[in-house]
Amino acid sequence: MTVSRRHILQIGGGLALAGLAQPLRPLADEPIEIWMQGNADGSHVWFDPVGLRIKSGQTIRWINLDPGNSHTATAYHPQNFEHALRIPKNATPWNSDYLLPNESFSVTLDAEGIYDFFCVPHEHAGMVGRIIVGRPVNSPADEASSLDISEAARFAFPSVEEIMNRGIVRRI
Amino acid sequence: MSFRIAAAIALAAIALPAMAADQVEKAPPSGAYKKVSELVKLPDFLPGLGQLFVDPKTLPAGPFLAYDRDGRLVSTVYMLPVEDLSNKDKRFDDLAAPGGKVDHVDVYFNAGHPGVEKPHAHVVLWHVPKADESRVAAK
Ligand SMILES: [Cu+2]
Repeated sequence: MTVSRRHILQIGGGLALAGLAQPLRPLADEPIEIWMQGNADGSHVWFDPVGLRIKSGQTIRWINLDPGNSHTATAYHPQNFEHALRIPKNATPWNSDYLLPNESFSVTLDAEGIYDFFCVPHEHAGMVGRIIVGRPVNSPADEASSLDISEAARFAFPSVEEIMNRGIVRRI
Repeated sequence: MSFRIAAAIALAAIALPAMAADQVEKAPPSGAYKKVSELVKLPDFLPGLGQLFVDPKTLPAGPFLAYDRDGRLVSTVYMLPVEDLSNKDKRFDDLAAPGGKVDHVDVYFNAGHPGVEKPHAHVVLWHVPKADESRVAAK
């Protein structure tokens, strides 16, 4: 299938160029922040951005900017509350545990693919996010049973296509 | 008065205060109430609610007793999971209401927090006038 393979390579090249044209951060080694946020009465909580495309080896730093709540950044992985795997098979899972206001937690992501994560007390409310490292190579998130996660969470993930096209996906 | 009767009266005098209602006007409330921020990892003072105390046996519904920065009771809060409210076989009966006079009531949705992780409704019995809600506002 030479033709389709070439077609895929062309798409890949275009995406790489788009990535160069739209830098995600000012300095090469600074972590990329994802803010944990909530409104005043706690009726709405979210990660901002909710979708991110990064390069292998970049560091993500979650920081709780919600003065009235605790949040976590937790990978979808059997080690975390027996969730179905939604990060690359060779990636290390993480769980920040509860972060109080202004506390933060960092993870460096190396393995290529799609990483889905959630906030432990707010997964039911749809507080989830998705990071794509490099290309969205065949990833467990594609195959994972969606029955494992709340309906609100299922609909909150930005699509792989939207993340690849825009680099950063925000919902506010 | 016989010694036996005197002893009985003395015992009753000791026993009575223990049977009396918990002191809730000032933080910390007496009885089985525990500070929520010591039970779960939450900020000690929640903007809009205040400093919360709850008897862990009553979770998730509560009552949660909410105090301002000077330790004065401002509201009694019940936290009722949405999935329980829509379950025909689930009821919340005889919830304690130790806070006294209620000025007005707020009911609103909360997405969840440590302690009550599922989406739920906050039912807030304010013991202070509307204007005094500012006592638990964000600084
Ligand atoms: Cu959260």
